[in-house]
Amino acid sequence: MPDTIQAPALPVGHYGYDQVDRAFLADRVEQFRDQVARRIAGTLSEDEFKPLRLMNGLYLQLHAYMLRIAIPYGVLDSRQMRELAHIARTYDRDYGHFTTRQNLQFNWIRLEDTPDILARLADVDMHAIQTSGNCIRNVTCDQFAGAAQDELVDPRVHAEILRQWSTLHPEFTFLPRKFKIAISGSPNDRVAARFHDIGLVAKPAPDGGTMFDVFVGGGMGRTPIVGVHLRDDLPEEDLLAYLEAMVRVYNEYGRRDNIYKARIKILVQALGTEGYRAKVDAEFAAMNRARYRLPPETVAAIRARFGTPDLHAPDDAAEQLARARRADPAFDRWVRTNTHPHRAPGHISAVISLKPAGGIPGDATSAQMDIIADLADRHAFGEIRVTHMQNLVLGHVRQDELHALWQALRAADLASANIGLIGDIIACPGLDYCSLANARSIPIAQKLSARFASPELQETIGPIEIKISGCINACGHHHAGHIGILGVDKKGEEFFQLTLGGSPGSDASVGQILGPALPEDATVDAIARLVDAYLVHRTGGERFLDTYRRLGAALFKDAVYATA
Amino acid sequence: MSDVRNNRREAGGSSVITANRLLDGRIVWQVAEGDWSTIIADARIIPNADIEAAIAQAAARQQADGLVGIYGVQVETDATPPVPVTVRERIRAFGPSVHPDFTPVAELEAHA
Amino acid sequence: MPLLENGRLVPDDWTTLDADAPLPATGPVIVPLSRLEEGLARPHGEKLGVAIPQDAEIDTLRTALPRLSLVAVTFPIFRDGRAFSQARALREHLHFTGEIRATGKPLPDQYEFLLRCGVSTVDLPPGSEPEVWARAHTRFRTAYQPSVLGERAEGVTLRRLLG
Ligand code: HEM
Ligand code: SF4
Repeated sequence: MPDTIQAPALPVGHYGYDQVDRAFLADRVEQFRDQVARRIAGTLSEDEFKPLRLMNGLYLQLHAYMLRIAIPYGVLDSRQMRELAHIARTYDRDYGHFTTRQNLQFNWIRLEDTPDILARLADVDMHAIQTSGNCIRNVTCDQFAGAAQDELVDPRVHAEILRQWSTLHPEFTFLPRKFKIAISGSPNDRVAARFHDIGLVAKPAPDGGTMFDVFVGGGMGRTPIVGVHLRDDLPEEDLLAYLEAMVRVYNEYGRRDNIYKARIKILVQALGTEGYRAKVDAEFAAMNRARYRLPPETVAAIRARFGTPDLHAPDDAAEQLARARRADPAFDRWVRTNTHPHRAPGHISAVISLKPAGGIPGDATSAQMDIIADLADRHAFGEIRVTHMQNLVLGHVRQDELHALWQALRAADLASANIGLIGDIIACPGLDYCSLANARSIPIAQKLSARFASPELQETIGPIEIKISGCINACGHHHAGHIGILGVDKKGEEFFQLTLGGSPGSDASVGQILGPALPEDATVDAIARLVDAYLVHRTGGERFLDTYRRLGAALFKDAVYATA
Repeated sequence: MSDVRNNRREAGGSSVITANRLLDGRIVWQVAEGDWSTIIADARIIPNADIEAAIAQAAARQQADGLVGIYGVQVETDATPPVPVTVRERIRAFGPSVHPDFTPVAELEAHA
Repeated sequence: MPLLENGRLVPDDWTTLDADAPLPATGPVIVPLSRLEEGLARPHGEKLGVAIPQDAEIDTLRTALPRLSLVAVTFPIFRDGRAFSQARALREHLHFTGEIRATGKPLPDQYEFLLRCGVSTVDLPPGSEPEVWARAHTRFRTAYQPSVLGERAEGVTLRRLLG
């Protein structure tokens, strides 16, 4: 085993707090302690308390309170991961659930314990601020940021700027509805920018700085809409001013009479892209731009709080990796499916699958969290990223150490070679936990991943994204699944509706409903037939999505409903 | 705070009353006025004709009893102990189907 | 109802009129937006305020504003955050320097947000505990974004030093 890398003073991959940030979090924890005390004493009614607890990520779910902890732009360090493991052991039932919004949820929290939990989180510079409520939520980011070969700009510094700017924003904390921002710095969209309230794509500006392409009004839920392109080349110094204008127009004109029509996507559709843009431009012109200017010195100061990995690998790192792959076919397969090219020679990004065959997508036990924290220290500068596919990434791994990493992961049941394949299913908590659900998502995911457990079979089927939501809120992104599965309720029993042809990326599209919803016990078989039909009809190197786009729904419809 | 999905009550049937505890969020079932249990088998079964009045009575004292979200749940007619008619309420009553070890009964035994 | 300014209860010199009450010829009065013309017809020098609904466009006050000493914005429910934007627009677009009063049902937990959007006084909703509001006033020492109060930035960071 190589020596443990010395943890640098500043965390690699995310902003390092200073005393002022810590004092702020401490104040915030005390504020919530006070609010909880007022609720327990009865001076705050449940109706008054609910938005306050939601602003701290605390939901009341089916069985207990659920606490959603922010992992800003999906990056956490080993110390933070160990604290999450500790909280899982002490206050929950020994596990946590990583979500598609790069957060972590605990499902069995007690209201009384929450102030203490938030205090423990604050000890490691973490919080649950704005992980719920009608405010600007955790900003999500590319899981390969700062590492990917195809990246133009590392978007995490700007994601941090947006995190700070939106934190307890005085004007935008009681919006018509929740507000989600995603930011990418690569032309290959890995953040679903077009499915967010605001999607930002960062790119280099001619003067050497950064500028942004802006998308607005995308979203899932009951009205899935691909976001519209609002403007190109937004200069960095206008980033906050322009977002202020965009959100302000939404705060003033977004609908508040019907929560299903309250998202910004509905406003943008109602005003039209031109109409919305005109209002934003008018606000942008009327506001005090100097006040909201983001000067390069501020960006530099925040960038300076990020630790940078000291990347150097032995000259023969790639050769060592190639040798290990030749010697071990199982490792070779995992490298094929679970890694991503790194910009630095001799390095690679490794994806840790939280999707074991038959397991609960996104769940990790406290023991696994501790192991991952140790492996991150040993191989990846202590940095861990959460993906919107509910997996984890070690961003900067030396190629000559990859085999050792894989062996350690395998020993902890964390080495499923299924990233981007049929076993890599997104599932929301569904009716097993969620009070809004119509049907259970997790058991369908478990049955599917068990059925397609064979790594050979998964590789033969090739890239395919199955996404499951337990109700139309679409937390499981079913609209953006190549195969989407939506739980519906028929007279108190669970049924599942299939959609085909969705895609989250640069070629974003919304899946189309295939036909009548299926009973729970017929759903997994129907999907197996659907996959068989694809295998029969695909040509060349077609992905499932390509075959569907070429041939249309009819043959899949036959496959699903013919024998039913 | 009544939940539409749970108001699938028929005129003739029977229901039980449920809520979450304020302090820990856990699900409870009404045994008698002011007395609640985490085990649905302990719940008193109320004819649907009387259920709205019983819910209103329970709701009136929810802060004092440390409860939130009181509502009624229709149960199968002949089942004793009571079994809710919807999947959702069965999961609330018997725990998440994906963690058979987390049933309310198992929890009670673990703490006994 | 008790009036809060800077975290402390202060006397309220204003009379708030509804749609029908007769308009006194003198003294500080707050008229509803629908009666603004009537209010403006009073002798110059008589202090006038206007109460606007949460969906009013601030720009419609542009011509009357130099004659107004007070604008009351409202939170019909605390979750309706439009008045935050109205207050900010009054300060930032129209450079209003008079009193902005929050009415309706804001929560003490929103106090700092109100102030940072330019609100100066809060007409406390019935049943409020002034101590809770006072605590909210001093809770945070830092904010992470500029506001119309123009607080001092801490170095080149986004942070602003409050209080
Ligand atoms: C278990 C408690 C949860 C509740 C009560 C909940 C509630 C909701 C609701 C009501 C919506 C629809 C919002 C709208 O359209 O206005 C929504 C959307 C969404 N939720 Fe959740 N959710 C939960 C868990 C999750 C989890 C675990 C994830 C991540 C895995 C998640 C990610 C999302 C995403 C990505 C959307 C779609 C965003 C959009 O509409 O643009 N949620 N959620
Ligand atoms: S999609 Fe529905 S069931 Fe699933 S987590 Fe979201 S709200 Fe709950």
